[in-house]
Amino acid sequence: MNVKNLFNPRNILILIGVGIALAIPLIFNASQYVMLLMTTVLLYAILASAWNIIGGMAGQLDLAAAAYLGLGAFTTGTLLIRWNITPWVGMFLGGLVATALAMLIGFPLFGFKVKELWYALSSSALVVVLQSLFMMWNEVGGPTEKYLPIGTSPWYSLRFNDYMPYYYLMLIILVVVLLVNRWIRYSKLGYSLLALGEDEDAVEVLGVNSQSSKLKALAIYAFICGVVGGIFASIYGYVHPAFFDTSMSMEIAILGIVGGMGFIYGPALAAIVMVSFREVLRASLGSQLAGLYLAVYAIILIVVALYQPRGIAPLVERGIKKAQTYFVELTRGRRADIKSH
Amino acid sequence: MDVEPILKVTNLTKKFGNLVAVNRASLEVNRGEIVGLIGPNGAGKTTLFNAISGLYRPEEGTVFFKGMNVTNWLPHKICKLGMSRTFQVTRAFTHMTVEDTVRVGAYNRFNEKNVQDKVDQVIKVCDLVDIRKRVCEDLGLASLRKVELARALATEPEMLLLDEAGAGLNATELAVFMDLIKKLNQESQITFCVVEHVMQMVMGLCQRIVVLDSGEIIAAGTPNEISNNARVIEAYLGKRAVHARNQ
Ligand SMILES: Nc1ncnc2c1ncn2[C@@H]1O[C@H](COP(=O)(O)OP(=O)(O)O)[C@@H](O)[C@H]1O
Ligand SMILES: [Mg+2]
Repeated sequence: MNVKNLFNPRNILILIGVGIALAIPLIFNASQYVMLLMTTVLLYAILASAWNIIGGMAGQLDLAAAAYLGLGAFTTGTLLIRWNITPWVGMFLGGLVATALAMLIGFPLFGFKVKELWYALSSSALVVVLQSLFMMWNEVGGPTEKYLPIGTSPWYSLRFNDYMPYYYLMLIILVVVLLVNRWIRYSKLGYSLLALGEDEDAVEVLGVNSQSSKLKALAIYAFICGVVGGIFASIYGYVHPAFFDTSMSMEIAILGIVGGMGFIYGPALAAIVMVSFREVLRASLGSQLAGLYLAVYAIILIVVALYQPRGIAPLVERGIKKAQTYFVELTRGRRADIKSH
Repeated sequence: MDVEPILKVTNLTKKFGNLVAVNRASLEVNRGEIVGLIGPNGAGKTTLFNAISGLYRPEEGTVFFKGMNVTNWLPHKICKLGMSRTFQVTRAFTHMTVEDTVRVGAYNRFNEKNVQDKVDQVIKVCDLVDIRKRVCEDLGLASLRKVELARALATEPEMLLLDEAGAGLNATELAVFMDLIKKLNQESQITFCVVEHVMQMVMGLCQRIVVLDSGEIIAAGTPNEISNNARVIEAYLGKRAVHARNQ
């Protein structure tokens, strides 16, 4: 009976998804362009899934993903460039630096219950401020790119000639982040955050400390962004203040919202569809319309807001449920057939 | 035997700009009691509840709960100490199921291992078994009021503040709700302070009534004393009685 339960449509879908994800490099490894695209898709899927914790569950419209990503990148890059510390260590320290700053910002913001537009603006400002700071801080940042050395071993410096190792690394992180999402969602923190996203006062009188719950969510989100930032620096092979990218932060939030606030697989799904689409758009339209994809995103966002305000995840969920009943009926029907013979 | 009251509010004042919503209000609730807080619309009942439960910081006065000075405590700390509440305008977690809503409250005193038992117990007590998997936005007012009571109950409070929990319910629903409160009061020894407009509920439920008018407490006593108090009749019951007669 357990074996039979394993083969429900949801698990089959997950299995197919993982299978395809694992096979992609074997099929497309010839094209480095496709591999970079797929790695980028995974990067956005990770960031959007991390955003789901603070944005989808806790309901804080965070626009600082690139701030934490940039901090992770600069921490990892600087440690490698200056002290030859491997990015394997650097990315975790980068995650910690990002978390530390997030706590510094989050403590007063959540203490004063800053939300919605005000929180969006404050978090967005963080990206801009960090970009200016790193532009002026010549020892670490500055206007010219600082390149990460390859050194003797690509495994030590995490500097590979092709994108396959990065792709698999990102895939592993995505799976971990989805599992973390799942674990949070069905724990005390997840229930508290979901409720806090709806009505803060009503949750506090139930014994939930809203400030510390949101700080936990922000810490996990910032840490993931910081770690991924370390890999981001390794992939591009340099660090630059342009990593503190406002439109990227916005994109992450849009993916999270379109994917479905608070739904575990939604943001990753949205990232896979929309980022691929964005890249195709970019490739076909060329660079003269570099910002066009954001306009397209905005239109998608408006359409989703109008017709599917809870994002695409509930839609997919419903589809799976339907398939599940169909599946059950099919197996029952077949058994009935066998009996009648 | 002078037992200390479970809740003691002294000279509490809460202002909104120039408006004094609650003016030097003092109030005591003894352990095990069901106390009614009544008064006309805008009298300051909700504001007083908000100040007691920690959502508002009063300008003046103190709130003692279980002998502790909890004035200016954060709401979640006051809940940990044993007080929770419901809201006049229901504030459901619209996208969450009934069961998940109750679970939020149950985590107050339970961990991942035993929280489910508490959830099941509260859902049974509040008669929510049939709708436990339903999403709150699909529920009617009567169910929502029960869900709000259930999630507060799940925190295992010693005292509950109910803000117009009977408003909008029909006679049958109201009777069910009153029975539930009485049962909780007698079997679980929960102390209640209820704001109520529905006089049937106040008179049938409360051992003692406190009357608030224009932010000030103008009377306190048994239901009988209150319904014969001239100031109360003028401020509150009078208007209602006149209104009722005109209908
Ligand atoms: N948040 C607020 N800001 C400003 N004025 C308020 C606020 N809440 C309540 N008031 C005012 O305080 C007075 C008391 O309101 P309230 O406590 O809601 O009365 P009740 O619950 O007895 O009907 C009213 O005049 C109301 O308009
Ligand atoms: Mg009120």
